[in-house]
Amino acid sequence: MGLTIGIDVGGTKIAAGLVGPDGTIGARTHRDTPANSVDETAAAICDAAAELIAGHEVQAVGIGAAGFVSADRSTVLFAPNLAWRDEPLGARVAETLKIPVVVENDANAAAWGEFAFGAAKDVEHMVCITVGTGIGGGVVIDGELLRGEHGVGAELGHMRVVPGGHRCGCGARGCWEQYASGRALVREGRAQAESGSLAAAQMLSVCGITDPAELTGPMITEAAAAGDPCAVELLDDLGRWLGEGLASIVTLFDPSVVVIGGGVSAAKELLLKSAQVAFERNLPAKANRPHPSFGLAELGNDAGLIGAADLARRPVTAARA
Amino acid sequence: MALTQALTIGIDIGGTKVAAGVVDPEGNILDRLRRDTPTKDPKETEDAIAEIVRDLESRHDVIAVGIGAAGFVDGTRSSVLFAPHLAWRHEPLRDAVERRLGLPVVVENDANAAAWSEWRFGGGQGESHLVCVTLGTGIGGAILNDGSLQRGKFGIAGEFGHMQVVPGGHRCECGNRGCWEQYASGNALTREARELALSGSPVAHNLLRAAEGDPRQINGPMVTELAKDGDPVAVELLEDVGRWLGIGLANLAAALDPGTFVIGGGVSDAGELLLAPAREAFKRTLTGRGFRPEARIVRAVLGPEAGMVGAADLAREEATWLRRVRVKTTAVTAKTAAARNRTTRLERAARKSAGRRTGMRAATPEADLHHADLNGEPEA
Repeated sequence: MGLTIGIDVGGTKIAAGLVGPDGTIGARTHRDTPANSVDETAAAICDAAAELIAGHEVQAVGIGAAGFVSADRSTVLFAPNLAWRDEPLGARVAETLKIPVVVENDANAAAWGEFAFGAAKDVEHMVCITVGTGIGGGVVIDGELLRGEHGVGAELGHMRVVPGGHRCGCGARGCWEQYASGRALVREGRAQAESGSLAAAQMLSVCGITDPAELTGPMITEAAAAGDPCAVELLDDLGRWLGEGLASIVTLFDPSVVVIGGGVSAAKELLLKSAQVAFERNLPAKANRPHPSFGLAELGNDAGLIGAADLARRPVTAARA
Repeated sequence: MALTQALTIGIDIGGTKVAAGVVDPEGNILDRLRRDTPTKDPKETEDAIAEIVRDLESRHDVIAVGIGAAGFVDGTRSSVLFAPHLAWRHEPLRDAVERRLGLPVVVENDANAAAWSEWRFGGGQGESHLVCVTLGTGIGGAILNDGSLQRGKFGIAGEFGHMQVVPGGHRCECGNRGCWEQYASGNALTREARELALSGSPVAHNLLRAAEGDPRQINGPMVTELAKDGDPVAVELLEDVGRWLGIGLANLAAALDPGTFVIGGGVSDAGELLLAPAREAFKRTLTGRGFRPEARIVRAVLGPEAGMVGAADLAREEATWLRRVRVKTTAVTAKTAAARNRTTRLERAARKSAGRRTGMRAATPEADLHHADLNGEPEA
């Protein structure tokens, strides 16, 4: 059978699915995330998994979670949106469910999903970024997920791109995710509207709102898709930051393919075109090196779930209860 | 002789100098040669490599040659795609040199070669996740996971020097602006020191005196010397470079999460004058600091010959692998088949080359030992 369960733990929702060895999702379920309680979060995860396990032969459970996950893929060292601090999540869930559990950073899991079954299934070297509220990164080198010495590698969103730039939740300033994420898109959109710009006022009316504070990322994307010039420019700027950042990252990893996923990538060409132009323009020594290909993720919101499930299928080192 | 005890030659080809040495399996250098780099013509560079190898071979039994070169080396470690300071453009260096010498040859990026020797014999021994940064004129980089050099898809991973750290910053020869190596390299140190001296600032007094009054004469080692003597401005200049170093390392830690950073290259001669401010800036800018384990930042221990030793050691690995493929491999893959063809070609070239050399030796024994073009005296 070879079924495993993938669980994507987000800030508001826990999504779980039963995944086959070919990456297809059978049954699905979900729970709300009890953000403030560590015990309740673990219980909700177990509950969702137990629902899917019932009536199936399940090998293992993979959990993707936003945060720093230890190198043994069991402990969440720190999570920005949940109350986890050195939380032995893997051991806890494994004890309850009596089944092997692997915990992985959510962006790593999503990258693995794209690598195993999605946009990068035919290559061995990949850089994948998940552009949502922030930016998550996942890197595959020679077919292996990069985790680093302590398990906290590939935090690409926290590479500094602007000295003394915007303050970031990680404690630093000028992190890439302050310029190329959904949050950056909304911040810039609102700032422009608040500045009294006529173009922005028009964008607000296209979005059907009057208060800049109500503006959201999907609204901007929709307005841009409808041809609103201000929204198009906002996505264009975002794409440029994305492309420039990716050019730097490619100098580190030299991948075959760069994959862009996450909620903001729903803007597709509106984002991808300017990103690719900036990327090609900023690749160091661009005339004298091979260029990686550049594309959108294929698995959508399911990438993390599918990736976590597939990682659970791979040899588990120390993540057992 | 068992391959594991055999000697190999390492050649480090820089923008101005070619340094070569005979290296034993423990990383000891038994013999050395240096000469200027012929930069104009790829053929001349090959000639120089061949001359050096023949000269060293006349005194030692060697089994392979490793070449470390500043530039993009392809994934098969046979061609130099591009070298900023040399005339190589898609230069099939390995096969050309193998044909001439009849010895197995490995071509490797110079920073990768240096990192390899630090992992084998130097400051990175036993590290499972090692990142090496070489601060010379520019910045070279290398990633070693579990003792394996990460080369990427096309062989050109680890070019840390060209991460952008300042949007619209200093122009870089790679074609971009704001690359890390414009802020944390020897070039950056020299530029800042000269600019300070040129501004006529009285604080640059000692710096100018060391340069005999001419700001254009100021160089990196001069600044380091003055800083070691306690000159406050020289200390500050190294602090600034150290800070940029730490900021860039924090970026690399976010991306790569190594256990240790080894910092080598000429600028690292400044030691703690550079590394202390680097550690401080690293701790101050690292993402998630306080909630994650942090990498150590240490100085390389092998000095300027790390690249040569690393290239030689990689050549030993390659020769051992070629031998194993020839003797033991039963499964024929594209890779092993190519290795067998290469071995056959090598043997043919070796026979020819041996004939040539025997003839040459008989005719001009003296010239063979001390070739006119070579500065053959071993260094201390």
